Amino acid sequence: MADEARKKEIYDKLRNGVINYDEDACREGAQEALDAGLDANEAIFDGLVSGMEEVGRLFEAQEYFVPEILMCADALYAGLDILKPHCKQMDLGVRGSVVIGTVEGDVHDIGKNLVKMMFDVAGFHVYDLGRDVPLDKFVDEQLKTDSELVCLSAMMTTSMVGMPTVIEKIKAKNPDCMIMIGGAPTSKDLADKWGADGYAEDASNALKEAIKMVGFLKKLRDEKLNKK
Amino acid sequence: MNSRERVLSLFKKEKIDRVPCFSGMGNITEAGINKLGYKFAGIHLDAKQMADTAATTYKLFGYECGVVPVDLCVEAEAMGCQINVYPHAEGILYPTIKEKLIHNEAEMDTIKLPANMGELGRVPLLREAIRLLKADIGNDVAVGSYVLGPFTLAGQIMELNDLLKLSFKKADKVGKLLDLMADAIIIVAKEYEKAGVDYITVREMGATSDVLSPRVFKNLIAPPLKKVISQLSVPSVLHVCGKTNDIVTTMMETGPTAISVEQKNDVQESRKKLGDDALIFGNFDAYNVLVSGSEELVRSTMRKCIDDGVNAVWPGCDIWPTVPAANMNAMLDEIKTYGGKK
Repeated sequence: MADEARKKEIYDKLRNGVINYDEDACREGAQEALDAGLDANEAIFDGLVSGMEEVGRLFEAQEYFVPEILMCADALYAGLDILKPHCKQMDLGVRGSVVIGTVEGDVHDIGKNLVKMMFDVAGFHVYDLGRDVPLDKFVDEQLKTDSELVCLSAMMTTSMVGMPTVIEKIKAKNPDCMIMIGGAPTSKDLADKWGADGYAEDASNALKEAIKMVGFLKKLRDEKLNKK
Repeated sequence: MNSRERVLSLFKKEKIDRVPCFSGMGNITEAGINKLGYKFAGIHLDAKQMADTAATTYKLFGYECGVVPVDLCVEAEAMGCQINVYPHAEGILYPTIKEKLIHNEAEMDTIKLPANMGELGRVPLLREAIRLLKADIGNDVAVGSYVLGPFTLAGQIMELNDLLKLSFKKADKVGKLLDLMADAIIIVAKEYEKAGVDYITVREMGATSDVLSPRVFKNLIAPPLKKVISQLSVPSVLHVCGKTNDIVTTMMETGPTAISVEQKNDVQESRKKLGDDALIFGNFDAYNVLVSGSEELVRSTMRKCIDDGVNAVWPGCDIWPTVPAANMNAMLDEIKTYGGKK
């Protein structure tokens, strides 16, 4: 087992790899973590996700913009692809599956993909329906997979108006399902009015919301570990 | 002074009796479509239906312009993309591009514009729609059209994800592609001018500061925009969505007659930067205020736009067709009464 200094060195490599959108560093860091016998879940959260949190901060400070975030996401995935097969199933008391997609009439999927990334990180099973998805497909997929979360994304005002129909249909069939809406034209008011449980207005907010959600899961995990 | 004179005088920076209430972007309404007995999916493919529908926003509500097209796919389609108009949709779905033209980085260098692009896709249909719209309401209101900005068009013909990353990693390559997009846009805009359009809005929606840094906007987005705008003979309006306070100076430097900003822009701040002489159009939320807001919210928002100092009260995006008639009437009424006092 690696000592604390070595562990920190590896996690820093992963963290900085994400921040500096250095895919090679993330790949190397991930391999080093495995070679040193570190816990893959911990390497993901304390290395990769920690880097992504900093990226979110840099975006908020307007030091980073969307192109940088996309490159950071590529770096995160480079590390995640190596670590994920070694992750233990997280026992969080939730089944952890999510249906996600961009609504029909909209072919933009960057925000959706960033949110998907954070669910991937958190070990969720992600049913990605892609973009330009007919509204009924969300309803069908939720029923079929019994997912506890559905995320609807739209970049254009002209496509977001399909959202309330989906929300209504899903809630009618499965009131416990949580629904998150996101995209530039959405708002807290609309989310409330349409009966959605969460919203994120842009990619960074989506990222932040998803990080918050993942952060919450991590807290649960830590609490569980501490009890043991 | 009728609506047409008011808008055209504004573009010439001549004195007018009040701020106009018009748009350079889509503004058709379900009320208009229903009155004509048309279907939304059909109006994109028929010049007469498109022109008839575009005229109803003036005819029903006194909106001070007529604008075609209704969707955002004309340029990409003329370049060779297939579009989806969602013919079987029950509700309103705007057309989208089915298949990209550029599938990988190498194809960015090899892509060429079709030789007779001005005759391809729906460009001839748009020429006809503009002529019909002019003949119908052209004496009463200004007739406008819009084209996409080079970056937004590039985002339609290749994966936006790749375009964004490459605009950081390989700015030269993207710059070259955007220059070609500018050529494509100029071809289409020239056809609209031939048909007699009174003003053209250039919609560079994807290059907002929510997405790209002001530095990238200045270095990469502005030069091809300037190229497009410099080729336009009619008055031009440059529209960028989202946060724009840090780029309004650069937007103005690309040379449009006016700039258009949405509700995320602080117009008082923009005015300070650009001076009294600059034409700033905006900046209300076309959905959350005009469609889902109350009449009182519509009225107070119109007053705020005027107080903040816009030269024309104009929406931040396409007006969503389900807009309630009462809100359209409230908007026009408030601008006519309050706008004259200012």
